[in-house]
This record gives sequence, structure tokens and C-alpha cells, in this order.
Amino acid sequence: MSTVMSSKGAAPPSAAAAGPPRRTQRRQQRVAAAVLLTPFTALLVGVFLVPVGYAIYLSLFSEDHEGLGFGGGRTVFTGLRSYLSVLEDPSFLSGFGTIALYCVIFVPLVVISALALGLLLDSGLVRLRRTAQMLVYLPHAVPGIIAAVIWLYLYTPGLSPVIKLFAQADITIDFLGLHTVLPSIVNIALWSGLGYNMIIFYAALQALPREVIEAATIDGAGGIRTALQVKVPIIRGSVVMVCMFSLIGALQLFTEPMLMNQATPMVNSRFTPNMYIYDAAFRRNNYGLASAASIILLIVTCVLSYIVTRWSGRRERRA
Amino acid sequence: MPGRRRPGRSATGRRATAGTTALLTLLALVLAGCAGCSTSSGSDTVGHGPVRLTFWSALRGSQEVVDEFNRTHDDIKVEFQQVPSGEQGGWTKLSNAARAGNSPDVATIEYPQLPGFTIDGVPRDITKLLPDSVRKKILPQALDLTTFDGRTYAVPVDIEPMVFLYRKDIFTKNHIPVPKTWAQFESSARKLKQAQPRSRIASLFTTGGTLYMAGYAWQAGAKWYDTVGDTWQISMDDAPTRKVAGYWQRMMDDDLVRVEPGSSQQWRAHLRSGETAGYLAGAWAAGSMMASTPDGKGKWAIAPMPQWDPAKPKVSTQGGSTFMVTKDSRHPREAMEFISWMVTSPGALKAKLASGVSSAFPSVPGLVPVARKEMDTSYYSGQDIFGLFQKEAERIAPTWKWGPRMTSTTSSGDDGLAKAGAGSGDILKALRDAQSRTMPDLKSLGLSVTTR
Repeated sequence: MSTVMSSKGAAPPSAAAAGPPRRTQRRQQRVAAAVLLTPFTALLVGVFLVPVGYAIYLSLFSEDHEGLGFGGGRTVFTGLRSYLSVLEDPSFLSGFGTIALYCVIFVPLVVISALALGLLLDSGLVRLRRTAQMLVYLPHAVPGIIAAVIWLYLYTPGLSPVIKLFAQADITIDFLGLHTVLPSIVNIALWSGLGYNMIIFYAALQALPREVIEAATIDGAGGIRTALQVKVPIIRGSVVMVCMFSLIGALQLFTEPMLMNQATPMVNSRFTPNMYIYDAAFRRNNYGLASAASIILLIVTCVLSYIVTRWSGRRERRA
Repeated sequence: MPGRRRPGRSATGRRATAGTTALLTLLALVLAGCAGCSTSSGSDTVGHGPVRLTFWSALRGSQEVVDEFNRTHDDIKVEFQQVPSGEQGGWTKLSNAARAGNSPDVATIEYPQLPGFTIDGVPRDITKLLPDSVRKKILPQALDLTTFDGRTYAVPVDIEPMVFLYRKDIFTKNHIPVPKTWAQFESSARKLKQAQPRSRIASLFTTGGTLYMAGYAWQAGAKWYDTVGDTWQISMDDAPTRKVAGYWQRMMDDDLVRVEPGSSQQWRAHLRSGETAGYLAGAWAAGSMMASTPDGKGKWAIAPMPQWDPAKPKVSTQGGSTFMVTKDSRHPREAMEFISWMVTSPGALKAKLASGVSSAFPSVPGLVPVARKEMDTSYYSGQDIFGLFQKEAERIAPTWKWGPRMTSTTSSGDDGLAKAGAGSGDILKALRDAQSRTMPDLKSLGLSVTTR
């Protein structure tokens, strides 16, 4: 590939060279492009476009019954009926409400803590920087389901050593109660997401021009002031990005609440939009409804992604 | 530029995207298409040998019943497969198999789930297949619950009138009358709490509680689901339901009942310790109590359900199962013969009772003497419990219909009850929410649905 690239760069744009060699080059380029794009395209088509296409089909053509429905159903074109049903289902909409509340707690927490850790590492105050970095990052390497199982163990009364410890101090904690269950989920996500986001901030901070920091130091700014008033404003781009990606990630919230649904009735089977889809397909046998909800979630996610790209792109240009 | 370093994995990482969710749906369909591929090849007739049937059930004692059938029959041989109970995956297993076109010849299904499975086309219409001789033997109220729009889709094997199991020793010791009405039930609850501050008269269930609430509402005359012509009429907050929900809300608010998940460890522990001195449930619970609380021998007794109007006693059911011949069955006639035998023959009931304690009330009242003879009721101090069940079964109000998606309706209701138990919302709101969470489902199936 590199030879193709360099020969392209060296090729003079004269009319004399526009003979057969150029055609060969083009063909080579085409072959290279095809080879490089095939795996991606195959995956995109196989695991994204075809399933999405099938989901769209399922959402438009579904089992139809007449009257009381006992006569048996037929699969027919039902138009937007499944979509309308999903949109008027209070439990689907409340899933988005749950996500919104989750974001209100999770996003500021993860951004502020990751930023603080990133700044600490960058400031050179932390000894054993590499070790510290790895320790904070490590939870991200634990698969989500495993993390959820471990945390569920720590949350479950009667099993949890944490609850037992608090009980010895006469403090009763219910991690799975009506108002505590969402913070408990946030805690799991925070635990696994913190290190990852810290790395993003740390990398951004490492890329800062050293002269700016020097100038701040010469002007008499202390460590904290440099961090808050010089470093943070410069890496604002990554802060915005982390915020928005956390938000989009939150829309896909599934593993942790799904597992906690087994342990507490406070997490119902339609707690988040993804859980709603699972519930519709596998507990209610309503594939039309599940597919319509999937497509709606896909659209919401795409719209949010678009907003992120536009927003961060504009900020980059401004910077 | 730091901003350009777009992370491949977002902060909350590794979650399925909506695309993958769609893929999962696809996968599920493929899997559903193959579930049971290898299992149900046994329903073919090989040469001129006996007809082979497959039978799925989660009911205990089924193996013994099947063995007895095979021992006494030469022309039909049944291959039994124990399946998990409904909530544990039994329902999903059956509907996946039906979707793939290879469900067993005969399957067991509970009353509340039957309309949903019928709408999904799993059971066969057995209106013509069911012999009149069998039909006549079955309690009409039971058959009514398996007959929709004039067509019969399953044969009831047991029908479970609700009764009140109570700790006779605790009631007697504290001079508490056994309640005949719901007003007395409340006053007895107060007296019990006064006499033994740690004890409560009964439990209000969160998990699983909606089906109990359905039983209470049914008794009071509620109709959560009704059919008028070609339309479902849904009203989980009609006047009788509001009366019942208000009653139990007061019991809960005044701390007269224990609020806890049904069938939970803590509930059983409270029953054993006597901290919960009563249990309102279907007739089957008598046998279940004997098995799970052996220490209670001689202490428990059974009374009829408290009434709203003792002059016009009404009873509802809780629990109970039916047998269906599936649409996939290639031997519906033989399957029907097997079911008829299981439901009506004394031999089947004896085999079932020999396999373990069961107080399930047979849907065929003619079998009561058999059950009475086989059951040792010394646990209930020799009380004639089957006589009581029979009297109560005849009072079952033939007014109730289960809805097309009861599993999801009751699980929504249970979520609301758990919240009500934790102090957020109330029982009536739980039921209203269950209704509003069910409507979109029914509409998307194309059913004609209205609310009253």
C-alpha cells in the first residue's frame, strides 16, 4: 500500500504520463481499496444493514388478528401500527425518562471525576504514574456482565459483606431500594467508565503545548489555577465529546439493569429502552412491537450521534 | 488534536447498539425456528405400532401419571418431558416450539396464559374433539375459563377455589374469630396484631401479587377483561376493583398485613415462625403448605374465603392448569384420548397423588371421593378439606375472563405493587399502570380493544 501511495505522490501530473501506467495505478488502487474495504463492508452489511433491514420488515409486516383474535393470525402489512403502539406505550417513554435521570447523575460525575484524575496524573503530583493509570483503567477491561454480577453480589442483602459491615455499625443500607437502585447502577457504570475517560483527558492534556503551561507558571499561576483556568478550557473539546458519548452510551443501557431486574422489583422488565425491546420480543412474543421500538431507538441514537459530530466538529473549527 | 481521537467505545462501553439489538431479534427468530428440532420426532407412527405422543408439563407427578397411562394402554404410548415452570421458561419454550411448528402433541398451560396462547395459535380448537361424556363431568365454571367465543381450546385438570388457610392454634389462643366477611377479616387482623404485635393475619404479595389481586377482584364482581361482540373491553379499575384495592391499601397502610414477595424465602420463614398466621390462596396451597411447613402439622386449618356479602357467597380461583392439544399435533384424536384419561380417570389421579402430596382440586367433581380417600389430612387435624373445596368450587363466580397477554400484564402489576409496598404509588395505580402498559401490546396485535 505504501508503495502505491508514494508512487501516486511522485506521479507528475503531465499529459505525457497519462498513458497505460496510470490505468495500472488506478486498477491497483481499486484492488487495494476493494481488499481493504471488503471486511468492513461485509461486517457492516452482515451485522448492521441486513438486521436493520429485517427489523424494518418485521416492524411493518406483523401478525394481525381480527376482533377477539381467537381465530388465529396472519402476517400482513400493518403499516405504522407497531410504531404508533410503541409511541403510545407509557413504559417505552418512561425508559427514556430513566435514561435521562441516569444521565443527569452519571454524566457530570464521570466527567468531573475523570477530569480530576486526568489533571492529577498530568500535574505530576502522582507517584508511580503508570501504575496509577493502569489501576484506574483496569475496571474497564472487566466485561460489563461480569462487573454487574460482582456488584450485584455486593448489593444483595444477606450476601453482601458491605451491607454486613455497615450493619455492624448500625447503619442499614438498601442498595436495591426504590430511590437507591439508579445510583447503584450509576456506580457500576462509573466504576468501569472512569478509567477509560480519564485516559482520553490525560491524552488530551499530554498534547497541550508546554509553552502555554510555562507561560502560566511564569505569570504566577499556581497548580490548581493552571489546571482549571488554562488546561481545562483548552481541552474543552474532549470534555464535550466525553459528555455526548456518555449520553449515547447511556441510551444503550442494558446489561446492568437487566441483571438487577433479577434481584429487585424496583428495576422492572422495561426499565430502559433496550430492556423494553427485549421484553417485547421475548416475554410478550411481539416481534413487530420489538422491531418498531428498535428502529425508533436506532433513529434517536443516530440523531444524537449526528448532533455530537456537528457540535464537536464546530468546536474544533472554532478552536 | 485531542478532539479527533474519537473513542471506539463510549464511556459506558460495550453495550449492544440498536443495530445489534435488531440482530438479536433476528437471531431469536432463527433460534426459535430451531428450538426443539431434535426433540419432537417421536410423534410419528412407526409402521403399525402404537401411536406415539409427546407431552410437556411442569406439573409434579406427571411422569407417574404418564407411566400409569403407558402401563394401561397399548395403542397409545406417551413420551413425557418435564419442562420448567412458566416463569422459569416453560411458556417461552412452548411458544418457541409452536413458532417452529414442532410443539408437543399435548402441553400444560395455566388458565391466565391460555387466551394469549390461543391468540398465538398454539392450541387446537377442540370443541368437536372433546367427547360429551368428558365435557359433562367437568365443573362448568372450569370449562368456561377454557372456552372463548364459543370454542373450547383446553381441558381443565384442576380448578382452585380460593380459601383461607390460618393458624388455628394462634386464633384460638387469642380468641380471634375466624373471619366470615372481609370486615371481620380486618377486625381479626387488628385483634391479632394487638395480641401478638409481631404477627400479621396474612401477606400482601408484591412479586406474583397481581394474580392474587385478580382473585380478590374477581370475587368482588370485577371484570378486568370482558368481551362484547368482537371487542375486548378492558377495565382493571372498575368499581369492584376499586373497592378491593382500597380495602387492601388500608390493610397495608395500617400495617395489618405483611408486604413481601410471593413464594419468597422470607414469606415461608414468616409462615413457619407463626409471624404470618394466614394465607389466602387456591386449594392447592393446602398440599404445598404440608410440604413446605412440616412443623405446622396440627396447627393449621382451612376456612372458606371471607365474603363481601355472606348472603350471596362468591368464590374466585387462584392457580390451576389445563391441557391443550396443539395445532402441530398429528394425532389430535389420540391426544384427546390421553387428556380425557388424565382428567377423568381415577387411575390418573391416584398415580398423581401417589407421587407426592397434592391438594389440587380436580376439575371433575366426581373424582373428589378418590382424592379424599388418598389424602391424609392429619396435618389439618383430620378436617374434610376436599369437602370444603367442593362446596367452595361450586360457588366459583362464572363471570371472569383472562386477557390476551396476562403474563406481561401481571408482571407490570407486580412492579407497581412492589413500588406501592415501598411507599411509592398505591395498589390501584399499580393496576391502572398494568392496564396502560398492556393496551399498546394488544393494539399492535390488531385486536379490537376498548376501555370501559
